[in-house]
Amino acid sequence: MAGTKKKGLWFRYLIAVAFLLVMIFPYIYMVLNSFADWDQVDRKLIPTHYTLKSYQWLLGGGEAVIPRPWIHAFFNSFIVSAGSTFLMMVTAVMVAYALAKIPFKGRNTINNIILFQMFFPAIILLIPTFLVIQKVGMYDSYWGMILPKALSLWAIFMYTNFFKAIPETFIEAAKLDGASNLQIMFKIVLPMSKSITTVIFLFLFMERWTELLWDMIVTKSDNMLTLNVLLSQMFGPYGGYPGPMYAASVLLTMPIILIFLAFAKKFQEGMQFTLK
Amino acid sequence: MRTKEGRLGWLFASPYLLYAVVFFLIPLVWSLFLSATNWNLISPTFSFVGIQNYLEAFKSPGVQAAFFVAFKFMAVFVPLVIALSIIVALIVQGLPRFKGIFLIGFFLPYLASGVVSSLIVKGILSYNSPVNEFLRKAFGLDIDWLGSPFAALFVVALIIAWKFTGYYALILTSGFESINKEVYEAAMIDGVNAWQRFWKITFPLLYPALYTVLILAIGVTFGIFTEVYQLTGGGPNFATNTWQMEIFSRAFTNLQAGYASAIAIIASVVTFISIYVIRKLLELWGKRNGWD
Repeated sequence: MAGTKKKGLWFRYLIAVAFLLVMIFPYIYMVLNSFADWDQVDRKLIPTHYTLKSYQWLLGGGEAVIPRPWIHAFFNSFIVSAGSTFLMMVTAVMVAYALAKIPFKGRNTINNIILFQMFFPAIILLIPTFLVIQKVGMYDSYWGMILPKALSLWAIFMYTNFFKAIPETFIEAAKLDGASNLQIMFKIVLPMSKSITTVIFLFLFMERWTELLWDMIVTKSDNMLTLNVLLSQMFGPYGGYPGPMYAASVLLTMPIILIFLAFAKKFQEGMQFTLK
Repeated sequence: MRTKEGRLGWLFASPYLLYAVVFFLIPLVWSLFLSATNWNLISPTFSFVGIQNYLEAFKSPGVQAAFFVAFKFMAVFVPLVIALSIIVALIVQGLPRFKGIFLIGFFLPYLASGVVSSLIVKGILSYNSPVNEFLRKAFGLDIDWLGSPFAALFVVALIIAWKFTGYYALILTSGFESINKEVYEAAMIDGVNAWQRFWKITFPLLYPALYTVLILAIGVTFGIFTEVYQLTGGGPNFATNTWQMEIFSRAFTNLQAGYASAIAIIASVVTFISIYVIRKLLELWGKRNGWD
């Protein structure tokens, strides 16, 4: 009896591993092809000859106008994503703290407007937001990419729910000890929110890092392009240079995977709460 | 004390209020205004055309395609991603150890940029790729994946399903975990087989998690852009022309800002109503079957 059960278990793990391999196969394919000899790229499921030529091409600048465009674009992506995510986190914590822990007149109204806006199809805002950015002179600048994405309704919503679950007694006790709201926020509420903060940070950063449409619309000069936009334009409709295309894809994908894996444990803890 | 708290509350909420005015209220009004003009995004002058943009939009093949493409994507993508994520959740659920590691592994596709996944798929499906070589040699099949309407739609839906499967499986897993194990034991005693067990017990009890996933997936189908832009540009013959694609190409390729604004408003109304109706239908379906 124990024997058959063990056998069944083996089989289950085998299926799980096989399915996982199929799911992450595109990543494996990407990495292998980024190192593959150029005449083997996209010709073999598993290339047999490997080279660093694709990465040399990428780091050396390829055929673009400005020197080292890929490294430049990588830093653009980093500045835009980090700036944007930082602002989204700060604004979300502030607003959510007000909505969850500060009783004030108009709180419910603000809460309702946020909920309404969350379900409002955002596509209607695309063109006029572009015009707003153009009018204030932020077209083709970092601020133009960061500011319209400096606040996330979803992050506010998540933080508000989490903060509401923090028992009022903690806050009351701290207030009796003479703590200000800012102190309460930094000393009590935020330390209790580490795992949810990890979840929100990862989702926001990931989404910002892989944004295409907005960054594409709001920039025009070569030295403002983010990595995702450069990748899209360089290897767009006409193809060519498939090896470097995979190398550039690795350059774009690896940081986000590494960040995610570094926080994976906290991420899982946080997801437990969000899915309740 | 009261007023102090009140002021503080407004101060803390002020980033949202500022944001709502600059990036919601003003654009909203502006877009209504634009939709009644023939402005071309660059020229300093324009004139009012009333509802002509809307009339033109209703007649345009691109807009008509966009309307149906959203539902076509829904018909392909939603069942695909639901089936895949249920399979992944079931697989992970059957493992006594290392559940977390597998869930993290299955989540990785969610981190991919739409540009990257599109480029990889383009490579895998290129004419001389091993996949197409194999299909030609083994079955004599020569499929123009991105050149035929249904195949292109399916490929895009598959890429997006790939991205979201792990995420949705995570939600479904927590749904599975909230199911009381005693229900299964009782069913075992009654001699219920695995197939019945899934459909009669697991599925209804999974409904809340499934509802969440369905709503998320339906939301996704109305916001597809990157993969379509990268792979098909909305083609062939508008077969993958989503609302975002239509609006983007009208506004920023053809520079018809006024006309594109009208399309954006139509798209928003259609999206809002569709999601609302589908939501109500899902709730009704759940209630009728006694799930909640």
